[in-house]
Amino acid sequence: MQWMTLFNKEMMENWRNKKWIWVPLVLILLAILDPISNYYLPQIIEAVGGLPDGAIINLPEFAPADVVMMSLSQLSSLGVLVIVLMAMGTIASERKSGVSELILVKPVSYRNYITAKWAALLALVWAALFVGLLASWYYTNILYGDLSFKSFLLIFIFYGLWLTFVISIVIFYNTLVKTPGLVAFLSILTIMGMSIVTQIFGHIIEWSPNNLSSYIYEMVIAGEVSSDLVATSVVAIALSLILLIASIFTFKAKELAG
Amino acid sequence: MTLLTVNNLAKTYDGKTAVNNISFEFEYEKCIALIGPNGAGKTTILRTLAGLLKPSEGTIRISDVASNDDVRKYIGYLPQYPVFHPWMTGMEFLVYSGQLAFLSKKEAKNRAEVLLEKVGIADARNMRIGKYSGGMKQRLGIAQAIIHKPKLLILDEPVSSLDPIGRREVLTLMEELKKEMSILFSTHILTDADEVSDALLLLHQGNIVESGSMAMLRQKYQTSTIALEFESDLPSYQAKVNALESVSGSHVERNVLQVNATDIAIARQEILAVAAKENWELVNFKLNRASLEDMFMKVVNS
Repeated sequence: MQWMTLFNKEMMENWRNKKWIWVPLVLILLAILDPISNYYLPQIIEAVGGLPDGAIINLPEFAPADVVMMSLSQLSSLGVLVIVLMAMGTIASERKSGVSELILVKPVSYRNYITAKWAALLALVWAALFVGLLASWYYTNILYGDLSFKSFLLIFIFYGLWLTFVISIVIFYNTLVKTPGLVAFLSILTIMGMSIVTQIFGHIIEWSPNNLSSYIYEMVIAGEVSSDLVATSVVAIALSLILLIASIFTFKAKELAG
Repeated sequence: MTLLTVNNLAKTYDGKTAVNNISFEFEYEKCIALIGPNGAGKTTILRTLAGLLKPSEGTIRISDVASNDDVRKYIGYLPQYPVFHPWMTGMEFLVYSGQLAFLSKKEAKNRAEVLLEKVGIADARNMRIGKYSGGMKQRLGIAQAIIHKPKLLILDEPVSSLDPIGRREVLTLMEELKKEMSILFSTHILTDADEVSDALLLLHQGNIVESGSMAMLRQKYQTSTIALEFESDLPSYQAKVNALESVSGSHVERNVLQVNATDIAIARQEILAVAAKENWELVNFKLNRASLEDMFMKVVNS
């Protein structure tokens, strides 16, 4: 089947260029960075010379929910940046280099071409997110306090939807322009723009995908999935699919050479 | 039998005309060369036929292909500078492109083995393409273009970037492929076109300025001259030659008498007859056929 051929090629490419190794490692690092450094902060201060006499430092007590938020906020900033940079050339660089001239003169369906790339990126990102959050969950449990495995799974699934949306944005810009750097720039601009709009019009746009993290925080504290979280997830999935369909149409309308 | 019909094809980029209203037909198992100077629109035409560009106007039709069918199934294409995934091996790339053209994995593998052998890079089958030389990439490019046994093979400057040995091998390969499929290729090296193609399309500034078989074009643009060299006394011989009925004129170029004739065959007969009879001190007799270059310049400039 043609779709599987394209998908397997993507998986093989991401394996050979070591993305399957470094992307999970980077996400693990980002996810455990703040939980660990916050826990060891007193020792770190001591080791670098301590505080001046008389100074008192009051470190807040972190609940597991706060620790989860530390991981997610790192993933949402640096993590998203890394993912955008990792995916910026998936179609654009093939067009720029000219490989797509050989591939797309074969009877390749554009829908297969784009959805296979989308799926291969999602497989990578979801796997990397899984190990990243797993590491964060492990340290939360040994350093801070109990966080159930079920909570971990729910955090993983709902946050994965946010990254799915990010990947869909990157795929869309990949079909629009053929300079990888420009793809990254436009994607980051879009994500930042959405974040600003969501903050300013927060009372109107309750279900913006940018709000997923804060609803996940509420979920961990309350211990149950709110209807807002579900609605936001549905919006994130719907927007991702719309972007994917739009990508297929822009790509079909494009001239593939020159 | 017609394989390909191109009707009033035109292509403009940002208001600039690259290809201007061209029409031609193409028969099964023929080899047509598209020749023209750089910027004549050769690559644009080939890319449009391969489906990489959309025609601004006009139609392209392949016989026996239903209108809702994907023409790409029947076309093989090699761009001027083929680029591959450098991390794949030659074998992997061929199997990949075969599978994309709906061969099963097994079929694609068998076919890839055969083709690697045929284009002469079987030894490098498991080497990363990133390490291939330019000539090897060109061969791999031809192999990937014919992996799905297309009816029409489109080659953009297939030999221009190769060394003389590579050129010879690719031309021989094309000669062989001609028996299985139709070939349309572009080149600005006229002798290559002369060697393998059955017909030529001469392109200039987006227009087909001339077309037809080599023999036909030769005859049409016949500009043959006879070059004569004598031991001495050139002016008197020139007068004698000019007096002949079939000779239309002559001029001297570096001690060689260049003779133009209305009919070159008759002129040759007359000159040789007179020379034998009067015992001319002839050193050299040479019939200069019009080269493809001359013909090309003539067509383009007219």
